[in-house]
Amino acid sequence: MKILVTGAGGFLGKRIVERLLEHGQTDIRCMLRDTSKGAALQTIAARYPAAQVELFAANLKNPAQITASLAGVQTVIHAAAALKGSPAEMFLDSVVASRNFLDAVAALPTAQRPRIVLVSSFGVYSVAPLGRNAMVDESTPLETRPAERDVYSYTKLRQEQMFWEYQQRLNLDLVVLRPGVIYGPGSGHFSNRVGLSLFGRFVHLGGKNLIPLTYVDNCAEAIVVAALSPQSSGQVYNVVDDDIITSGQYLSQYQRDVKPMKTVPVPYFLLMWGSGIVERYNLRSKGQLPAIFTPYKAATMWGGNRFSNARLKALGWRPVITTREGLQRSFEYFRNEPAKAS
Amino acid sequence: MKVLRVGIVGCGKIADGHAEVLKFMEGAQLVAVCDRELLLAEQLAVRFGIPGFYGSLDEMLAKEHLDVVHITTPPGVHLALTRQCVAAGANVYLEKPLALTAKDGRALIEAVTGAGLQMSINYWPNFDPAAMEFKRILASGAIGDPVHVEAFIGYDLAGAYGQALMGDAGHWVHGMPGKLFQNMMDHIFNRVVPLLPDVSPEVHAFAFKRRPEVRNDSTDTMLDELRVYLRAGGVSAFGSLCSHARPVANTLKVYGTLNTVELDFSNRTVIFPASQRYPSSLGRLGPAFQMASRYFSQGWKNLGLFRRHEFQFFAGMTTLLDLFYASIRSGGQPPIPYSEILRTMDVMDRIIEQVYPAATEVSR
Repeated sequence: MKILVTGAGGFLGKRIVERLLEHGQTDIRCMLRDTSKGAALQTIAARYPAAQVELFAANLKNPAQITASLAGVQTVIHAAAALKGSPAEMFLDSVVASRNFLDAVAALPTAQRPRIVLVSSFGVYSVAPLGRNAMVDESTPLETRPAERDVYSYTKLRQEQMFWEYQQRLNLDLVVLRPGVIYGPGSGHFSNRVGLSLFGRFVHLGGKNLIPLTYVDNCAEAIVVAALSPQSSGQVYNVVDDDIITSGQYLSQYQRDVKPMKTVPVPYFLLMWGSGIVERYNLRSKGQLPAIFTPYKAATMWGGNRFSNARLKALGWRPVITTREGLQRSFEYFRNEPAKAS
Repeated sequence: MKVLRVGIVGCGKIADGHAEVLKFMEGAQLVAVCDRELLLAEQLAVRFGIPGFYGSLDEMLAKEHLDVVHITTPPGVHLALTRQCVAAGANVYLEKPLALTAKDGRALIEAVTGAGLQMSINYWPNFDPAAMEFKRILASGAIGDPVHVEAFIGYDLAGAYGQALMGDAGHWVHGMPGKLFQNMMDHIFNRVVPLLPDVSPEVHAFAFKRRPEVRNDSTDTMLDELRVYLRAGGVSAFGSLCSHARPVANTLKVYGTLNTVELDFSNRTVIFPASQRYPSSLGRLGPAFQMASRYFSQGWKNLGLFRRHEFQFFAGMTTLLDLFYASIRSGGQPPIPYSEILRTMDVMDRIIEQVYPAATEVSR
């Protein structure tokens, strides 16, 4: 079976390719914008000499290149997404790119349309109305107020909605995975769920909230298990590891294992009060200061939830490594990479 | 006051700035946005709560009955889009650069004025609080007659806009005859030209590429350092676009027959340099304190603006749009004279001819 991985050169994409090879897959096409940046993939491929790992240069803004990339493919794992840039750029790179991809799939004869595995995000859930410590599982409603969220969450929501629209229209074989906070060597050091660096201090906003961590290899394993499982068609799976820790635990372990930091803890009630002031000031001052905090954003990001991976486990997924080991590996890497600390 | 119905065509990065300003403006309502990529129009509409979004300008114009259209697309299509808007009776507000050549810019303005409508261009930094104060000083005669002008603008190739440019060899900026300079040097010459006598100036330009890296794509042909010397009558000017000096500065200094004044756009200061009043080394002790006092006083002024909620990042765009919309309502003079826009474009054309001669030949 030929499997196409989009975004294969990215932090998660590389691990997806590795897990596919580990699961015995032998025909993988890796889509990258620039194949000269595929050295890490070549290193991985070299460990599996029996497999064919093809580096395929394509930009999802270019429909002709997408069509070429789909030739002979039975399964696509769509991991390409924008993590930064202006809102328009992020929308172009995630949503418009996905539309181009889906149009290319739609143009194929029905029998040649591949199974599609979409890497979505926890960001698509509407968690603000749930209340603190509510369980987030696959039945949690999708966000209804995307404009009030961060741009990344909005782009991921719109992207996933579009995949379901095409799935309905074309009866596609679609599987959606919604990872929480993907971490590991090479990731950012802190999710915003833990806190933010402001004015030379680390403002700790996560308190005792659980952080929905998923180590990059565990997340890639989940994607591969779902991609290769016939039962997953039309299903959604949250991706979060076992034994996840709280924001406070993450921060104290980080300070112990990576470096000490000056932190300012902000309790939730104070955060909500301050967010209300920031939002009102933004309106009253006609945008003189941006509404980076609003009560809705704060409730979404720092309200605190519990997370279920029961459905993923029922499919047969097991973490490749424990959270304890994942954090150890990450912090060891971070310790030697201080420049990326922010 | 009539509330103007406003639309935007071109929903890329800069459209966010227009939408942000329009969200808080009185006397105007952003009712629709348009992009040939409908999804881009949708995201702008959703994020700013704009009622209409379209994938076709003709459709937006037909359905929305707009008074003004902000054209925030790349400049190569400004003329064609302007003609469409004008045919539908809409005034236009355009992002810089106005067009790829002065000839196209002239045709654009003629298309607007020929239909009895108005246009303006988003030279918003020139309407920021400090820039308005600078204009008041010049108009008061406090510096006498200009003798020499220095305009400097820095650019960060690793910044948000720079990255978009350097990361995409197909970016529209690489397709313009004057590449990066054409996208940025309005901000030099729209400040210099109004200070020169109204005669065709001498223009001497040279440019070079300072960054050493080779990427083997079209980004390699882009020069990144520009220096221009101008003279018209008794006034000279020096303009620099600098991609490698830090901090990334944005300044204008006018040396006059009575005094000199310097405007710092980034820091929002307008300062008369101190001069030595008393002889000997003792006389040299005072100016630093004089300058400190002048900056302190400017800081207080800025604090007052902040307290009155007049210190937004795009405060200049709000002022410029207020003036432009007022001129639409009254039929009066637009805030930026068309002759100034065209003189600026003429200077830009001549610079591009000198620093990218081959590209200019092709574009002809």
